[in-house]
Amino acid sequence: MSSAAVRRVPRAAVIGVTMAAGLMVLPMLWVLILSLKDSSALMADTTTAFSPPWTLVNYANIVGDGQVAVWLLNSTIVSLLMTGGVLFLSSLAGYGFARLEFPGRNILFIVVLFGLAIPEQAVIIGRHQLFAAAEMHNTYTALVMPGLSAPFGVFLMTQYFRAIPREIDEAAMLDGASRFRVFWRVLLPLTVPAQATLGIFTFFHAWNDYWWPLISATNRDMLTLTVGIAASQQNFAQAEGLGFLMAQAVFAGLPVLIIYVIFQKYIVRAVAGAAGQ
Amino acid sequence: MAGVELSGVSKRFGDVSVIDNVSLEIAQGEFVVFLGPSGCGKSTLLRLVAGLEQLDEGAILIDGNRVDNLPPGKRDVAMVFQHYALYPHMTVRDNLAFGLRNTGVSEDEIGGRIATAVEKLEIGDFLQRRPGQLSGGQKQRVAIARAIVKQPKLFLFDEPLSNLDAALRARTRIELAQLHQQLRTTMIFVTHDQVEAMTLADRIVVINERRIEQIGTPMEVYRRPATSFVASFVGTPKINLVPVTAANAGGLAAARMPDGTLLETTIPWDEALARDGATLGLRPENVRITGATQGQAPATARVVERLGERTIVYAALADGTLLTTEDRGDSTVQPGDEVGLAIDGNAAHLFAADGTGHHAGAA
Repeated sequence: MSSAAVRRVPRAAVIGVTMAAGLMVLPMLWVLILSLKDSSALMADTTTAFSPPWTLVNYANIVGDGQVAVWLLNSTIVSLLMTGGVLFLSSLAGYGFARLEFPGRNILFIVVLFGLAIPEQAVIIGRHQLFAAAEMHNTYTALVMPGLSAPFGVFLMTQYFRAIPREIDEAAMLDGASRFRVFWRVLLPLTVPAQATLGIFTFFHAWNDYWWPLISATNRDMLTLTVGIAASQQNFAQAEGLGFLMAQAVFAGLPVLIIYVIFQKYIVRAVAGAAGQ
Repeated sequence: MAGVELSGVSKRFGDVSVIDNVSLEIAQGEFVVFLGPSGCGKSTLLRLVAGLEQLDEGAILIDGNRVDNLPPGKRDVAMVFQHYALYPHMTVRDNLAFGLRNTGVSEDEIGGRIATAVEKLEIGDFLQRRPGQLSGGQKQRVAIARAIVKQPKLFLFDEPLSNLDAALRARTRIELAQLHQQLRTTMIFVTHDQVEAMTLADRIVVINERRIEQIGTPMEVYRRPATSFVASFVGTPKINLVPVTAANAGGLAAARMPDGTLLETTIPWDEALARDGATLGLRPENVRITGATQGQAPATARVVERLGERTIVYAALADGTLLTTEDRGDSTVQPGDEVGLAIDGNAAHLFAADGTGHHAGAA
């Protein structure tokens, strides 16, 4: 965007957006400030959060609490595996749908798109029974596998591959590249923006997923951070461990924040694209 | 040995025939242009040679070796695409090196070849840039350099100038001609632009509706068009095609034009010209403007285009038939002026009802 275009944004819009952003941030700041207070002080009166002394004891407790570290590790493993798996499978499927000629391709693509219309709730019992029968609950495989069926990812990557001119493939073929080399060295690098978008959204989805881990992971050592925090909430009782709970919430949100900061460019591009750029 | 040989090549997409039994020999080092309108099959023919399409019938030989069963990368050809088809995520240097690395050329050799191509095409300043940072003309030079570094037996150009502006197109055309003179490698160039074909080609292959209409040097194609299609496709301004009645005048053909003017030609008489009517072909430069009472046919100037070195006058015959004619650059003719037309019967063409051309001199 040119600087001229930036200047044309009305002042009222800037003020409005700033206020809306402030409203969005307020609860997060509230969580942050509560996390910096000792739980016993908050038990008496939460407004003490605005006055010193502030402390990092809640964060120290998290680091010292082996259970939270395990949940954090579980969430990280599950999110990374799911993100990697979705990117790998969606890229291959997208390339296949966009570039390979095979019987039933269009029908198969429509079947994949139907996956977008089926809510998780509709299949959760069957999925639970399937994993229970296979005795796979309380494993990383069970936590990751359902998320690998990503119709949106396949759709996104198919559209992205289709948008790459075929002349690029043909030039590479004339340059003596094998089909795999065309895919790996020429086309796949061109899909990095789509990969980044899909990767970020998949990671966020996996990190924040609550329902399936709640069903599949019943062993306390296999809980993910979201399920673990929720469980803590019940056990500690909100009034007694509010500071610790808020510190857990901040801690759980940190990786997402870090991912956002690193990949901000791609997220903004993805959202702008979704808004019909 | 022919550089390239196409023998009975046919190609169908489903039930639709796009190339129909095409045979052609291209000599080693020759610059051949496939010329034809959009959809005539010229690009498909080029893609068949490249291996980007599989042929249904026939054979393709390069340097005497049959290649139609080989993948594109094994045919020893290089292609320059209409939209450049550079790899957007690679630097210019990597674009040039990619194909060589695929075929196992040593890094030293790659460096040497790139240096030569860079010098030839003057692209040294942006070797480390990505294609997105280049102008259209620069991209085109890189695309040509990418083809050159491969040192192929055959260069294929698929309308490579169509995305350039007029000035750059003219400049690149000259550079391509110079490149061919330097390399003396066989080149096939596809275009729908007859100026490109006329200026670049050793021989032009005029293609229309899936078939070759004529193969010849630019001047053969211009002066002795095999069909009325070739006559109308080659030449600017377009040739005048006028329905006439042809008759035998002592072994030579005479044409009665719609306004009653009888034009005597030096075209040997052929009975085919008498069947189902004939068409007279007159290049604008062979229909000159003269004084109102001179020339073979009176006419009225309708539109005058002053091009500097010559003037194009669109003149209507008595029956309203509009002819494109030429006058001197300093012509004073105005629209509405009565003029005479001096028609050079020796340069006239006659086309039989099936479109076959008949010309003065040898049949």
